[in-house]
Amino acid sequence: MAELVSVYEFPSDVATVVRKLKARGFTDLTTYSPAPFEEIEMAEDPRPSKVRAFHLIGSLVGVVVGFGIQIWMSMDWPIKIAGKNIAAIPPMWIIGFELQTLFGGILVVAGLAILAGLYPRPLDRHYSPRFSAEEFGVVVRCEDRDAAEVESLMRGHNAKEVKRAEVH
Amino acid sequence: MAPPPATAVADAMNPPARPRDSQANIDIMAVTKGFHWPWLIALLFALAGVGLAAATLAWQTYEGLGVAGYQAPVFWGVYIITFVFWIGIGHAGTLISAILFLFRAKWRNAINRGAETMTVFAVLTAALFPLIHIGRLWKFYFLLPYPNQRYLWVNFKSPLLWDVFAVNTYLTISVLFFLVGLIPDIAIARDRAVGWKKVVYTILSAGWQGTGQQWKAHSRAVLHLSGLATPLVLSVHSIVSWDFAMSIVPGWHATIFAPYFVAGAIFGGFAMVVVVMVPVRRIFRLEPYITDYHFENMSRFILFTSLICGYAYGAEYFIAWYSAVEFEQTSFYQRAFGPYWFSTWCMIIFNVVMPQLLWIKKLRTNIPFLFVLCFFINLGMWFERYVIIITSLSREYIPAAWGLYIPSLVEMIVLTGSFCWFSMFFLLYLKMFPIIAISEVKELDIHARDHARDHAAHASGGAH
Repeated sequence: MAELVSVYEFPSDVATVVRKLKARGFTDLTTYSPAPFEEIEMAEDPRPSKVRAFHLIGSLVGVVVGFGIQIWMSMDWPIKIAGKNIAAIPPMWIIGFELQTLFGGILVVAGLAILAGLYPRPLDRHYSPRFSAEEFGVVVRCEDRDAAEVESLMRGHNAKEVKRAEVH
Repeated sequence: MAPPPATAVADAMNPPARPRDSQANIDIMAVTKGFHWPWLIALLFALAGVGLAAATLAWQTYEGLGVAGYQAPVFWGVYIITFVFWIGIGHAGTLISAILFLFRAKWRNAINRGAETMTVFAVLTAALFPLIHIGRLWKFYFLLPYPNQRYLWVNFKSPLLWDVFAVNTYLTISVLFFLVGLIPDIAIARDRAVGWKKVVYTILSAGWQGTGQQWKAHSRAVLHLSGLATPLVLSVHSIVSWDFAMSIVPGWHATIFAPYFVAGAIFGGFAMVVVVMVPVRRIFRLEPYITDYHFENMSRFILFTSLICGYAYGAEYFIAWYSAVEFEQTSFYQRAFGPYWFSTWCMIIFNVVMPQLLWIKKLRTNIPFLFVLCFFINLGMWFERYVIIITSLSREYIPAAWGLYIPSLVEMIVLTGSFCWFSMFFLLYLKMFPIIAISEVKELDIHARDHARDHAAHASGGAH
C-alpha cells in the first residue's frame, strides 16, 4: 500500500482532483482544508449529511416531551385557571416549541460530534498546521502499482507538493 | 564515526522555508497575544465594578428587597428593566449569525463572532436578573418544574414560566451555536500555541483537522442550528413581551408588543455590537477585517429597526387615543407629560429622532459619530423598558393607588455591575479566543483569489 500526500493552493483544484481520483476508483482519500468549501464537500461525498436525521429526531422528541410534561403535570395537580381546561392545549404550544428547538439543537450538535469525530484525540499522521493556514491537503491511499498514476493526477492539477509516505 | 550523508548536510545548510502562515491567522490571533494597556485598564475597571456590585448584592440578599426602590404599586423595577435590556442586547448576535447566514449575507463574516460572543455574555448577564429580582436567590429553582413534597407543579399557563423555558433554551442554543462556530478557530490557535495554551486548545478543539467529512458535518450543523435559532430569536423576545402584554395593565395589554419588542431588541443589539466593536477594532488594529463597509451595513439595520420602533411608539399612542379607553389614554398621557416625562422623551429622541441622521451616508461611515450615536441608542433602549414598566405600573386604574418609583442606589450599583460583568467576560474572551471568525474570513478570501485566478486564466486565453 502507498499513501500520497499532496498540497494545493486553491479549492477548485482540490475539488477537481478529488472528482478525478474518485472517477478512477481511488476512493480511499481524505481532504484537509482551512475553511469550508462546498465544491470540495460535494466532490468528496455528494450525499446529504446525516445531521438532518439528528435534527428531526431531536425536534420530534422535544415536541413530544414539551407537550407530554405539560399535559401530565397539569393533570397531576389539577387546578382551574381562568376558566381554561385543566390541560389547555393552546398555551402549551409555546413550551412545546421551545423544547422542540432545545432538543433539536442539542441533537444537531451531538450529530456533529458523532459524524465529524469530534472528541479529544491525536491528529492524523499527515495533518499539518499548513492546512489551518491557507493550504489544502489531499491524502490518497492506494496500491503501490497505482501510486505513479495518482501522483501524475495530483501534479496535473496544480499540486504544489506531492509526497509519498510509508504505510505502517 | 561515519560522516553524515551529503543530503543531510545540505538539508541542514538549507532548511526548507517555513510554510507561510495566513495573514488572517497572524492578525486575528495577535489580539490574544501580547499586552495591551487599554485592555488591562478596562478589565480592572470591570473587575472593580463586579466586586462592588457583588458586595451590594450580598447586602441586599442579607437585608432583603426593601433596600431596592420598590414602593407600592411598583414591584417590577430596575432589575426587570435590566433583564429585558440584556435579553434584547443578546438578539443581535443570533440575528447576525443565523438570520444573515440563511440569507447568505457574506458581509456578516467579520462581525459575527464578536456579535455571538456578545450574545452569550449578554444572555448570561440577563439570566442573573430574575434571580436578583426574586430577592431570595436560593429559591430560584421554584421557577422550574421539579417533583416536590407538596405535589405542586408550575403553572404552564403563565407567561413568566414560558419565559423561563424561552430564556434557558435561548441561552443553550446560543452557547452551542457559538461553540460550534468556534471549534475550527480553536484548532488554528492550537496549531500555533505552545505550553499550557496548547493543551487547553487541544482539548477544546476536539480533534478538529478540517477534513472534508468534518467540514461537511460542520456546515450542515451550522445550517440546521441557524434554522432553529431564527424562529427561536423571534420567539424569545415575543415571549418576554408577553410577560407584559398578557396582563391587563394599561400600556401593556397590546397586540403590537411582540414585533415591537423584537424590533427593539435587534435595534439595541446592533447598537451594542457597534459600541463594543469600535474600540476592539481600534485597539487591536483590526481595520483590515472590520471595515467601514461593515459599520455602514450595521447602520442600515439600525436605521431600519429604528423606523420600526418609531412606528410602534406611534401606534401605541394612536391606539390608546383611538380606543377611547380612558385608562389607556391616561397611561400614555402620563408617559409623555407625567412624572416620568424625562425617560419618555429620552427614549423618543435617542431611539427615533437621532438615528434618522443615518440617512446621510457620510454619517453612516463616520465611526466616531456611530460610536456616540449607538451609545445613546443603548441608553434610549434602557429608557424604553423603564418607560414601559415603570409608567404603566405607577399609573394603573385607580388614581388613589398611583405611586412613584425612584431607583435606589443599590439598584443602580447592580445595574452598573451588570455592564462590568458583561465587559469582564468579553475582555477575558478577547485574550483567549479569536474575536473574528478566522475560517469564515479565509473562506471569502480564498474564494476571491480562486476566482481571480480563473478570470486571469480566461483573460489570457488559457486554462488552469
